[in-house]
Amino acid sequence: MAEKTSTTEMLRSTGTLAAEQRSPEGEDGGEAQRADIVDFKMVTFSLGGKDYGIDIMKVKEIAKIKSYTYVPNTPHFVRGVYNLRGDIISVLDLRRMFNLPVEEKEEGQPEDGLILRLEENLPFGVIVDRIDRVVGISRERIQPPHPIFADINLKYISGVVEHENRLYIILDVDRILAKEEEAPEASRGTEISALAGGSGTEEPGEARPAATGAAQPSARASETEDPEALTFEFVSETLATFAGFYVSDVNKAWMERRFGEWVRERQESGQDTQLSSAEDAAQYLRDFYSPHTGAFWPEAYGEEFRKLLPSDEPRGYTVWNPGCAKGFETYSLACILRSQFPEARLKIWAHDNDLLSVSTAPNLVVPLQGVPELHRKHMVAGKNGYAFSQEIQDLILFEYHDITSTNAIPEVDLIVARDVLSFLPVQQQQALLSEFSERLKEGGILVIGKNEELPGDEWKAVELKDIRAYRLKDAGG
Amino acid sequence: MRVEYINPFVESAYGVIQEVLGAEVERGELYLKSTSMPVLGVAAIVGLAGDVEGRVLFDMSKETAIQVASQMLRSMGMEPIDELNDMGRATITELANMITGQAVTKLHDLGFKFDLSPPAIFTGDNMEVSDPGVEALIVPMQIPQGKVEINVAIRERT
Repeated sequence: MAEKTSTTEMLRSTGTLAAEQRSPEGEDGGEAQRADIVDFKMVTFSLGGKDYGIDIMKVKEIAKIKSYTYVPNTPHFVRGVYNLRGDIISVLDLRRMFNLPVEEKEEGQPEDGLILRLEENLPFGVIVDRIDRVVGISRERIQPPHPIFADINLKYISGVVEHENRLYIILDVDRILAKEEEAPEASRGTEISALAGGSGTEEPGEARPAATGAAQPSARASETEDPEALTFEFVSETLATFAGFYVSDVNKAWMERRFGEWVRERQESGQDTQLSSAEDAAQYLRDFYSPHTGAFWPEAYGEEFRKLLPSDEPRGYTVWNPGCAKGFETYSLACILRSQFPEARLKIWAHDNDLLSVSTAPNLVVPLQGVPELHRKHMVAGKNGYAFSQEIQDLILFEYHDITSTNAIPEVDLIVARDVLSFLPVQQQQALLSEFSERLKEGGILVIGKNEELPGDEWKAVELKDIRAYRLKDAGG
Repeated sequence: MRVEYINPFVESAYGVIQEVLGAEVERGELYLKSTSMPVLGVAAIVGLAGDVEGRVLFDMSKETAIQVASQMLRSMGMEPIDELNDMGRATITELANMITGQAVTKLHDLGFKFDLSPPAIFTGDNMEVSDPGVEALIVPMQIPQGKVEINVAIRERT
């Protein structure tokens, strides 16, 4: 049975702890003094040698868990059920869940665990390596997670915080357990539709834990025991891990079609349908990308694209091209616009958050071979190949920029964001979409990936071959 | 952050620090940040105006600042300091000025024109800096005296 320590007791003891930590001593004085207001307390513990924290408000109690009952036919990270003073609760092992090394304990030894209390769900037990203590910090110091914490799926992390020279990774338990927990009967099916709902209201870039299930395709698995649905969910999850591709309403149609194909393809060749590496994920996404990704657009595609542009030459025409990568598509866009509107004031804001790619963009030099005709007249010969003329260069502003941060660009006539949305976490997809509609002038055009589509009725689809474009409906209509 | 701006700042920061401190500078990974950022304790700030607008912040802990200033003073044959006095502050300010100055010269050669404001220095605890609407590029550097972060927040005029 459990030897429990009540959390209130822990809380009380940390009152003094936090006060001590605030005293300005130690050589790194400046760092410690910044723990000004303690408005966030977390229970810290270690998993596979790293420090983690969970919001104390989610923790019902801290327990030494021993003698739980093994339950057959459960995922490997379920350790069994446990009798918590008469209530039967399930116990998960976070280390197994995140595929971290598990310290072997002797038979019958109690293990450190936390009993978590989540809204809607029954209490849950989780087993960790070692409970450390309760740490009080200021919410302001919590920083968004960084991709280096790759050993745990980024979406389970609500932030990181440094405290007394230790880095704590704060886990978002709502998300972790929302995935495992059987959804309650009543909320079935409502979760996916929540995804589609209109404009996101939260600030972009703000690291906020998602509401239970609102953003994840997780409802799928709980809907049914069907192994196919489970595989689908697994594939969706692994796409996020290996390729940063997030399944949402934007790409659901493609995803469902592709999944059927994929299963057939793999079964015919006798391979596992699940994705086990980045190569598998790339293979899966093979035909997701829009035509001519990362390359100049050939004439035919350019001609189709021109149909999106206004027939009368405007005085000024501004374009936003997030996810410009090495700039090939941006240059194509510039050449098309210049030939369509020879006199207009043109400006293209091209952004990417990959520093290496976008750094090469302003000085792009290519061999002339294979360059479409339209581009050639804007190119000048240099030492190592052909580069674009100053006239074209001046139209484009390449910036190293993360679109999930504040976007300081003016109102634009056209947004070209092919295959950008699908590579953002679902919450950010929504935030970015509402940002798109804010930044577009009335009647402006948004171009997204060929295999993406927009939910909601704010946007009116434009029928074109190979190009998926939408017109922002006028505010009045 | 326009890509052309990044390299001049990174290069001149490494160059100048390596030169004046005569020490190895360990480069950190560059990254972007848009939320408000804590300041380590001593921050020298240089404003930029012209084709672009923004500011560059040189951020380090007080301890690091004292050691960096002492090293710079020693190299000029002057007395090192043991607290952050006027001399120490002036020295850190000068370091900021040298780095920004060199970066701006490089940018000028590339055809971008901007002016610098005289550097100002902030010291204190619990400070934060935030630039609404501008994303900051962080250039972290590890030197024997501690950690120095250069925080560049500039944007095109729109």
